[in-house]
Amino acid sequence: MLEIVLAIVFLPFAGAALTPLVFRVAGERTAYYAAGVAAVCLGLVGQLYATGAHGLASIEWVPSLGISLAFYVDGLSLLISMLASGVGVLILAYSGGYMHGEPGQAKYYATLLAFMGSMLGVALAADLFALFTFWELTSLSSFLLIGHYTSEGSSQYAARKSMLITVAGGLFMLAGFLLFAWAGGTTLIVGEGSLTANADATVETLRTAGLFVPSLLLLGIGAATKSAQVPFHVWLPNAMEAPTPVSAFLHSATMVKAGVYLVGRFRPFFLEAVPEGTHLPEWSLVFVTLGLLTMTVTAILAVQATDIKELLAYSTASHLGLIVAGFGVANAYGAETGAFHILNHASFKAALFLVAGIVAHEAGTRDISKLRGLRHDLPVTALVAGLASLSMAGVPPFNGFYSKELLFEATYELAHEVGGLTWLFPVVAVFGSVFTFLYSLKFLSLFLGDRNDDLGHVHRPPLAMLVPPAVLGLLVTVISVDPQLAVDALVGEVYGSTVPGEAHAFSVGLPTHLTPPVAMSAITIGIGALLWPQYDRIHDGIRALLHGPVRANWWYDGGVKGLTAGSKSVASRVQTGLLRTYATWALGATAALVVGGYLVAGVGFPPLELAEGMTVPMVLVLLVALVGAAAVGVAPSHIAGVLTLSIVGFMVAIFFILADAPDLALTQLVVETLVLVLFLLVLDRLPVYYGTPRVSVAVRDAALSLIVGATVFLTVVFSTAGSPDTIGGSLSRLAGVPGEHATFFMDYGGGYNVVNVVLVDFRAVDTLGEVTVVAMAALSVLTLVRMRERGEAQ
Amino acid sequence: MARTVVRVTVPIILVTALALLLQGHNQPGGGFIGGVLTTTAFVLVYVVFGLEFLQSDLLDVRNESGESHHAVELYRVLFTVGLTIAFASGLAPMLAGLPFLTQGILFLEHLPLYEELEVASALAFDLGVYLAVVGGLLTVIGEVGSE
Repeated sequence: MLEIVLAIVFLPFAGAALTPLVFRVAGERTAYYAAGVAAVCLGLVGQLYATGAHGLASIEWVPSLGISLAFYVDGLSLLISMLASGVGVLILAYSGGYMHGEPGQAKYYATLLAFMGSMLGVALAADLFALFTFWELTSLSSFLLIGHYTSEGSSQYAARKSMLITVAGGLFMLAGFLLFAWAGGTTLIVGEGSLTANADATVETLRTAGLFVPSLLLLGIGAATKSAQVPFHVWLPNAMEAPTPVSAFLHSATMVKAGVYLVGRFRPFFLEAVPEGTHLPEWSLVFVTLGLLTMTVTAILAVQATDIKELLAYSTASHLGLIVAGFGVANAYGAETGAFHILNHASFKAALFLVAGIVAHEAGTRDISKLRGLRHDLPVTALVAGLASLSMAGVPPFNGFYSKELLFEATYELAHEVGGLTWLFPVVAVFGSVFTFLYSLKFLSLFLGDRNDDLGHVHRPPLAMLVPPAVLGLLVTVISVDPQLAVDALVGEVYGSTVPGEAHAFSVGLPTHLTPPVAMSAITIGIGALLWPQYDRIHDGIRALLHGPVRANWWYDGGVKGLTAGSKSVASRVQTGLLRTYATWALGATAALVVGGYLVAGVGFPPLELAEGMTVPMVLVLLVALVGAAAVGVAPSHIAGVLTLSIVGFMVAIFFILADAPDLALTQLVVETLVLVLFLLVLDRLPVYYGTPRVSVAVRDAALSLIVGATVFLTVVFSTAGSPDTIGGSLSRLAGVPGEHATFFMDYGGGYNVVNVVLVDFRAVDTLGEVTVVAMAALSVLTLVRMRERGEAQ
Repeated sequence: MARTVVRVTVPIILVTALALLLQGHNQPGGGFIGGVLTTTAFVLVYVVFGLEFLQSDLLDVRNESGESHHAVELYRVLFTVGLTIAFASGLAPMLAGLPFLTQGILFLEHLPLYEELEVASALAFDLGVYLAVVGGLLTVIGEVGSE
């Protein structure tokens, strides 16, 4: 199983790496190569599904930290991988038609494949840090895709916005992950010995430390930013700047589904430890509120949209809200809602986006007010659009109806059991659904009525663009006709992954008698139908209301503006172009951080005592060094300063000799010599006299040097006292120094010189790193100086 | 006076540096110290005889027109080669299935003149360190010094 999972996750990346080569040979047919790669992934996922693979597969990654590259296969991860790879095949094939003649195709297909690979990684990862890595990879690759038209200002704005919001959210999530890893003592999310398996103990630890709610909120922010939940929904409409296939992929199968996936994945963890009879745990309070709020607000925003892709974008956020709300409800219906609606939403939303792409491509406009009666020109597209938008509206017997019915049932049950304010949940669910019904009808109306004659000739789409939405339309039909089939085949498994403990079988179907959820659906459709003639008035009304602080975008733009201004003013203070300013800030900040760290950690001052083996000559040498150091401060000329500074260095070297550390002494002597010679080199270039500094400046510098000196002193004291076992101690323990020390080092390092054996054998990786740093420093000096010569430094 | 002293001392310094590099495994020394000491020798030449002499007469780096060329290119090659050697010496044991950077040792016995010679694989790593340090430091000094 491990090989298959690894192949699924890394094949798209390998495919992406090869894309530039393929593009050189195949040109625009690269789309079918990319679709082929996706199809292989889909086939492998299908094989996992067919063989009933289930469970954990891992390889070691950073064993010293207990982090492994672990993957988990279950219903939820299979569904998301199937969507990512399956919709991926359709999207990539569709791109072959849509991207015809567009610039930057090699980059486009490579990024799209990498994007798919990242999403597959998110779906299958079972380790917190592996999940986080793939999670941020989806943000990075979507940044490239959204900003595909690199020279357009709006693309740049959109790409930056999505990156800023989703990556920042990912960092909050990482903080939450660190809390989980700390409390659970493992980085595994699911499977044996994982966080979910030990949920009770982990949650108890978190609660005792008062970190349960913070960790839940951190996770929630991660999921909310990724899945465009209110108030982080602002990036999603802008992401429409991407080519339409990307939007379809992003909105139906990848990226935004990652947040929903996260909620589903952690649901059993947070609900496992909920005592029997608690109907509204913190988990529900956070996610039901977040989900329903998003569902309603973004459904209202979708009604005010004027662009078909904008309408679909808000509708995506709305349906993700529905899924999040479903997963939020702690009863069984909640999990069923989330599990089923992931599939339903992906099927109808991908179809609708591809339809929108066809409309924009063939009619040449995305303006809703200009589009109507398209069924005359695009009959097949109209059929697919009809199926998908009725499903989106939640009209029976289309598939969106079943999962929305489950949400009504879940919120109704919750309100029924808890009572009080929770009755707001079913009410808001119905309220939001009315708007969902309205905008779905609006999308459908593009194809109804009389044809708008201003449109001119609308071409038939090429087959490559027509087949993918038709396939999705077929999927919608199959689920609509026999929803129980989908549940038995896959959704039941997904449901099983999102509930703690044993899962029961569940069934869906058309209602046969009047139940509260049926009544709620009837109310939704009834009110929707009543309001439909007033659509334009509602549309205008909402637009009139949306100004200034009411819009989340206003806050985003204001915030970014403020941050930009703030960083500009800070930069002009900190980076003046004068070396001494840089030194002041760098040293001061380091000292503040270090001392602050000691204060926060509450490090006690260890008792100071004269080290063992301290002899009179050593003390004398150190005293001379002190005198030398004092002399540097009062040296009247540069030459005297350099020479007195060397006194300090050479005294330290002598101290090393006296302390039986010939290696250190040698190094110190050689470096000291080099420094002295270098000083000689630059001495005659320095001005002889700087002038008398102002008193305030002198005081500031003196204070800074005192602070830096004290910080270094404290650090030395703490770090030498804090280690439980000194290096010398552990070496003597291992090697039996002094008795057999030679044998030990000969056996393990092949040398007699302890210091060098440690440097080139025991800790050779460190040494390699240090040498790399030397090379990097040389390279950066080289680059900086050369850049200045070329006049690029400005 | 200064020139005479440098003429005499630089060869001694270089030999000492090499000795430090080679004996590092069993006695005080090693790639880093050897490298810094070698750099010192070069800097001494630079201070006393000037950059021009160092580049044209000592290192003999000239461009096509015969003018002395910036020696930095040479230094850059030096530290790149150094890093490569150090890294390759770490990769080599992996071919034998040992962990990255495992070091081994071999004793050659009954050799003429030497009788016994110790060949430590760590020497390759040390040589890499040495070259990287010399190249790196000389790049910094050469580039900043020519300003």
